Amino acid sequence: MTETGELLRNLLMTAWLLPLAGFVVEIFFGFGLFSKNPRHSKGAAWCAVGCIGTGFVCSLIALLVWVNKTGGHDTYEADKGVEKGWMSVIADHNHGLHPHGDGEHAEHSEHEDGDKDHAAGGEQGHEAEGDTDSHDDKDAHAKPHNEEASIEGGEWQLASVTAEESEEHSETEDSRSAAEFPTAFSGRLYTLGEFGSLIVSLDYYIDSLTIVMFAMVTLIATCIHLFAIGYMSDELTDDYVDHFAHTSDGKHVHRPGRFYRFFAFLSLFCFSMLGLVLAGNIFQVFVFWELVGICSFLLIGFYTERKSASDAANKAFIMNRVGDFGFLIGLMVLWTYFGTFNFADINDEGQVTGGLFSMISRSTEGEDLGNVRVDEDGAVLITSPEGEVLQDADGNNRTIPYALLVVAGLGVFGGCIGKSAQFPLQTWLPDAMEGPTPVSALVHSATMVAAGVYLTGRFYPMFTAEVLLTIAYIGGITLFVAATIAIVATDIKKVLAYSTISQLGYMMLGLGVFGWAAGLLHLITHAFFKSLMFLCSGSVIHGCHHEQEMPKMGGLLKKMPITAICMLIGVLAIAGCPLFLGLHFSGYHSKDAIVASALAFSEKNPGHFLLFALPLITAGITSFYMFRLWFMTFWGKPRDQHVYDHAHESPWIMCVPLLILAPFAWLCAYGGDQGDLYVMLTKDAPAHIENGVTAVGDGVVLPEIQEMYNQHEAAGLWALTSAGIGFVLAFALYGMNLVNLDEMKKNLGAAHGFLANKWHFDDLYDGLFMRPAHKVAAFCAWVDRTIFDTTLHFLARLMVIIAQWDRIFDEKVVDGFVNLIASATGDFGERLRVFQTGRVRQYVMFIVVGVVILFAVVFSTFPG
Amino acid sequence: MSSTDFLLVAIIFLPSVAAGAIALMDGKAVGTIRGMAFASTVVTFVLTLFLWGAWSGANADSPGDIVLLCEAGWIKSWNIYFRLGVDGISLPLVVLTGLVSMLAAGASWSINKQHKGYFILFLLLETGMMGVFLSLDFFLFFVFWEVMLLPMYFLIGIWGGPRKEYAAIKFFLYTLIGGVLMLIAMLMFYYGSGATTDSFNLIELANAASGSESTLSEFLSPETQVIAFVLLFIGFAIKLPAFPVHTWLPDAHVEAPTPISMILAGVLLKLGGYGIIRIAFPLCPYGAAVAAWWLVGIGVVSIIYGAFAALAQTDFKRLVAYSSVSHMGYVLIGLGVWSIGGDAYTAASRDYWLMGIEGAMFQMVAHGVSSAGMFFMVGVIYDRVHHRDLNKFGGLMGKMPVYSGLAAGLFFAGLGLPGLCGFIGEIFVVLSAWQFNSTLAIVAASGVILTAGYILWALQRVYLGSEYKGPHEEDITPINPREKSIAAVLLVFAIGLGVYPAVVFDMMKDSTANLTETMEQGYENAVPAVAEEEPVEQAQAMNN
Repeated sequence: MTETGELLRNLLMTAWLLPLAGFVVEIFFGFGLFSKNPRHSKGAAWCAVGCIGTGFVCSLIALLVWVNKTGGHDTYEADKGVEKGWMSVIADHNHGLHPHGDGEHAEHSEHEDGDKDHAAGGEQGHEAEGDTDSHDDKDAHAKPHNEEASIEGGEWQLASVTAEESEEHSETEDSRSAAEFPTAFSGRLYTLGEFGSLIVSLDYYIDSLTIVMFAMVTLIATCIHLFAIGYMSDELTDDYVDHFAHTSDGKHVHRPGRFYRFFAFLSLFCFSMLGLVLAGNIFQVFVFWELVGICSFLLIGFYTERKSASDAANKAFIMNRVGDFGFLIGLMVLWTYFGTFNFADINDEGQVTGGLFSMISRSTEGEDLGNVRVDEDGAVLITSPEGEVLQDADGNNRTIPYALLVVAGLGVFGGCIGKSAQFPLQTWLPDAMEGPTPVSALVHSATMVAAGVYLTGRFYPMFTAEVLLTIAYIGGITLFVAATIAIVATDIKKVLAYSTISQLGYMMLGLGVFGWAAGLLHLITHAFFKSLMFLCSGSVIHGCHHEQEMPKMGGLLKKMPITAICMLIGVLAIAGCPLFLGLHFSGYHSKDAIVASALAFSEKNPGHFLLFALPLITAGITSFYMFRLWFMTFWGKPRDQHVYDHAHESPWIMCVPLLILAPFAWLCAYGGDQGDLYVMLTKDAPAHIENGVTAVGDGVVLPEIQEMYNQHEAAGLWALTSAGIGFVLAFALYGMNLVNLDEMKKNLGAAHGFLANKWHFDDLYDGLFMRPAHKVAAFCAWVDRTIFDTTLHFLARLMVIIAQWDRIFDEKVVDGFVNLIASATGDFGERLRVFQTGRVRQYVMFIVVGVVILFAVVFSTFPG
Repeated sequence: MSSTDFLLVAIIFLPSVAAGAIALMDGKAVGTIRGMAFASTVVTFVLTLFLWGAWSGANADSPGDIVLLCEAGWIKSWNIYFRLGVDGISLPLVVLTGLVSMLAAGASWSINKQHKGYFILFLLLETGMMGVFLSLDFFLFFVFWEVMLLPMYFLIGIWGGPRKEYAAIKFFLYTLIGGVLMLIAMLMFYYGSGATTDSFNLIELANAASGSESTLSEFLSPETQVIAFVLLFIGFAIKLPAFPVHTWLPDAHVEAPTPISMILAGVLLKLGGYGIIRIAFPLCPYGAAVAAWWLVGIGVVSIIYGAFAALAQTDFKRLVAYSSVSHMGYVLIGLGVWSIGGDAYTAASRDYWLMGIEGAMFQMVAHGVSSAGMFFMVGVIYDRVHHRDLNKFGGLMGKMPVYSGLAAGLFFAGLGLPGLCGFIGEIFVVLSAWQFNSTLAIVAASGVILTAGYILWALQRVYLGSEYKGPHEEDITPINPREKSIAAVLLVFAIGLGVYPAVVFDMMKDSTANLTETMEQGYENAVPAVAEEEPVEQAQAMNN
């Protein structure tokens, strides 16, 4: 473990564990320790903000350290004649930005995540050598992985290097590799259980994806914590009136405020989410996977008095568990065949080597390019990090049947379906909007639901082509279905919820069509713009005194301009709007990348044209429903004068987070596939995405990364056209009110009803699973009561009856027999009495006769 | 008598001595009686911790063996000895028994009649439980087994609910049947151990079965092993309880007073699992291998059936009782995933089985904590409102926030949430099961959905909602310090075990490793004997 590795570990562990400490403090002492009047104290909130804020600072430093190190090997790179890493881009920008002023958010945010100012300060040393021609950078990034692989001998490339290659590396660069900066760090925290050769432990695993996720999660979480201080302030009271919960006599529920509890749960969630990202093995991912699930449960059901809230919380948790059932199956297969869960192992020299992912190796050339290596029976070979096939105790090659590898992949993806609310488990997410809006922004749009996408990305090397195709189709169905429902939703949060599902579908589709980087880029950009939009909607809801129905809004632009503008930025970002000077909205880059991947995929596989058509059409729908939301809320005339009159802009503590997030939502993907974010993300991309995968079993061909880059222009045009149509329609219908909407709704009644009822998924599941489950449950209880207990009682009664018979037998037969013998003896005695005369002569006579008879018998029986 | 001998004897008989002292007290001095009883359980618990210390020293010298042996002649003409000892398999359960007994004694403040008799029986029960876990002589084991039975019968039958007599007799008869089957098996071993001398010594018998010290005598032939295993298994499965001999449990739990429910769920059910691993497994390894499929199958059915039955209950305590049936199913699976004799059995497979066994053992400890906690939480609210109808609760989160928070934590532990004790046992068992049989593993894993379903639904009906819907609303008072500390201790253990399970695994790993090795030996010794007689049957057995 290098010093850098330890530093990164310590930083990220601090960021991870601080919220846990915060949770403990807040839940036990948050109520009462900070103030004389506990229900009015904001102490817990500031504690939570402090924890996650410090976590953000730690993540930021980690990011800088990482960037510094990976980009910092200038001398070595110069030797090789290779362009410097993307660090130079940052340095380049920073150069032109001194000194920086406060009003320049937009420009500052050109840089990766939050490092804008710090980067400038901390990287002085690199500026001198960082002034590379940006054109060269672009070339360097167009095919980042090749260079990466060649310049960093000690770097761990996931399953990418064949045995020969790695040997070559180790021979030529052995001396150097120890000193090189590896891009992945891993190590053990502690062991949970050890069973012979099997070890289950908690580990950490840090690579570029981890670091980007940490920075994103902590930044967004900090903003949302701040926002929540304002949003939840009505809980700062001894008598909170819940207008949505009623007692049986029809009154509103009165209860003490629970401000501190909300922040305790938020802190617990941050801990769980960061733990999920930091996890060094798939088992640990599962652990935190469940923990974010329970945090989600607690936060959705925060208003415990509302039946709808606790129903939604249960639904969320149980549907997630359905997905986790699949996850568990995947884990069982992996555990049984690979015997490890670790993403990475540490070899004897303390270097990070491939763990689970390197146990599947892929061909790097020929007809099987990119396919997993199999033996003659078609079973997948299990290999060491060096690409050598592992052998069991008997000397046979260790293998896993191909079908089971598919099962493992599908199983793990099943967990992702649940967590990321993909078809067919998508129905819990809209209901989850019962939670307070900051929760929707943090848990149910930006971070937790994206964990499914994150895991799909993380677990990518283990997915076979069949699994990827499934992922793509699941994503495709999801993004379309959810978008259509969003068209008719009228609750502002529900629109955003369906939009979230749809966007998650985009990410999955991107990953499924081999656009690994595209999917994950969209994960990051979406996190920013969707959390921004949710916070804006929260601001609207707060400003309108808990009115969520868009038909009662309208014209709020004048009343709450900051919110409206920030929301507009979010809408433009999600719609994928380009702008001059390359200042395109982030969604333009990420969605473009996904559509480009899909286009490249469908060109190679014309049979799967749908995978291109669906995201393309849905880009238009997305643009339509998002502008619809904006126009209905902020544009035109007020539809409900009462709501409008009382509406007001939110206090500063809620606006500031919006103003922080807006620039990120706009520009976090600056530069697109040559931008900092993208390059950072792809630093540790699974190697086999580089060259694509040639035809496998059912003829699917996965495109190589260059082919996707080639499609960007075309795809961008297509998507833009689609989004433009959506915008025009929305503007016509909701901006200019050209058509009577009620009329339209009436004419399209059936379709509208179908969409408004969410494609009837809830009814379907109710009939398919809920009712049958309760029926079966009732049956089991009935069996217990009736069959088992009745049998038992019957046996008991049988025993009693037998006992009774036994008594009768005893009394009549046994006793009767004894009595019979007794009385017979008595009778016999009676009879004998006649012989007992008392006369001696008679007795002698009897004796003589008896003796004679005895002798006669004896002699006749034994003659001679 | 050495100090460790004294420790072992004291752990078993200290509660009885205290019971004797209570018997001499004035029955009206309720406070003194309670205090005396509680103090003796505390001391016993502390003694078990000392035992842990003594054991770790001894275990370091001879890893995995049964150590701290204490032996005295009892009925010498029959070769019956008073023989105690402890190893990594019994130690966690001994400590658990000490803990749960202590907390249950603390929970016994709610007992409101005939205190003297109650505490005497309670302490005798603890003696019985400790005795079973510590005895290494089959006869002694059997005696303690039966010693537990009677106090339990009276504790349910006198201090129980409305149908207490029915529940008590049901419990008694079920367990007695199990005891009788065990007795038969015991005599089979006794007279079958002719190769050495007629013996009840569990260590000697196990050695004979594994073939490490003596040749297999005629009576311990593979066929006999199977018969003996089946007899023992039925006896222990009743105690566990496994489907379909579980129906005594819901009734016993529902009628028993809260502390007795805690003991019942927390300790008594573990005797079933412990019996299998301490007696049935080492004494008939071949029988265990043949029956492995049945163990796992019954375990899977118990999980699913118990979970469904729990989902349908309207009585809070009954729901928790069925959750016990469901959770103990994992124990059977973990113990049974021994694929020996199959084509794919390798040294690695034994590691998975080892994982299953340790997972099962952990599940027993974890269930002891979580289910005792759940029963206690039901008892706390029952003491206030005197009903358990799930549909007539609601809104307790607002009225009793601390209680509700603690209860939620303990129920989440039962749900198998990571970070809490229930998760580790379940997941390790399930992970070890795929190599044995993938279908059964998948069905077992599906239990996670049902478990989440019935626990969350129950939580929602009891703790959430806008208002309380049942009778005696005015009696709902916040949780008192005594109740709070009992629940908090359980929750702390639930979290501690969930976050750092290695503390239990480290205790048992040497012993379980020993067990798997000797059982493998025993199986391999038995196979040639089978092969000679009936090669066809052996092939079938292999397939199993």
